[in-house]
Amino acid sequence: MPSSTTDHASRRVIGARAALIWGVIATVLVTVASVGVFLVAPEDADQGVIQRIFYFHVAIALVSLVAFAVACVAGILFLRTRNLRWDDVSVTAVRIGILFSVLVIITGSIWAKASWGTWWVWADPRLVTYLIVVLIYAAYFVLRSSVDDDRRLRFSATYAIVGFVSVPLSFYSVRVAQSFVHPVVFTSGGANMPNSMLIWFLISLAAMLALFIALLEVELVGRRTERALRALTLRLESS
Amino acid sequence: MTGGNQYVVAAYAVIWFLVLAYVVMLGARTARVGRQVEAITRMLDREAAESDPPKGDDG
Repeated sequence: MPSSTTDHASRRVIGARAALIWGVIATVLVTVASVGVFLVAPEDADQGVIQRIFYFHVAIALVSLVAFAVACVAGILFLRTRNLRWDDVSVTAVRIGILFSVLVIITGSIWAKASWGTWWVWADPRLVTYLIVVLIYAAYFVLRSSVDDDRRLRFSATYAIVGFVSVPLSFYSVRVAQSFVHPVVFTSGGANMPNSMLIWFLISLAAMLALFIALLEVELVGRRTERALRALTLRLESS
Repeated sequence: MTGGNQYVVAAYAVIWFLVLAYVVMLGARTARVGRQVEAITRMLDREAAESDPPKGDDG
């Protein structure tokens, strides 16, 4: 077997190992965070038990933006190197980012219903701009499926980069527009919560970040393996 | 269960359900790759059974 093939196979194995390790880390952290959020974190004096939605809701929201940032950086790296690995990272990060965004919208709506008495507030800039971000990234897959081969890869990478412009717009909109409906917990002055809550939020954030990395690694291993298998099948069929 | 608790349980149930569904989807993909590996293995076995001479310049 040529050494390059051996190296490639080894890298795939290392990738699978990384996915396994991150899977274990994510499972442990999500379990610890869940126990902490439900059993240890103090109840909010103002909102009561429904405030417990905050821990995962905000953590998932932040990680969804991280996912879109990863897609953007991977898009830049793909356009610079034309290495398919970066296209894999970009498309996978967008996919997981959308999954997390859907979770943010659903959990946010549940929290809104419990707290404000309505599922959605169209007048709130944070909610609307976040929805726009999700729709922009949903269109990524429409674009990706509508063009083929090399153009698909280039267009997808470019879209992932341009689409990321919407992320800081959503993040800062609530501060610029002075939203009075959606609370702003983290300001330039720090977190507006006691340390006994902040610690469980940080653990939840670490858990969601580990979950994102684990899902990313698993998907990447799957995509690399599928591509290798396709190439192998073509070689066998043509021989 | 109080109204507040119901909302909290619903929110976390949605999170765990969708994440689990995503993991199941990844598992289905892995299973599909496994089937492809089996197909290639069968193809190689068939070729070995036919025991043709190595491919040459036979046009």
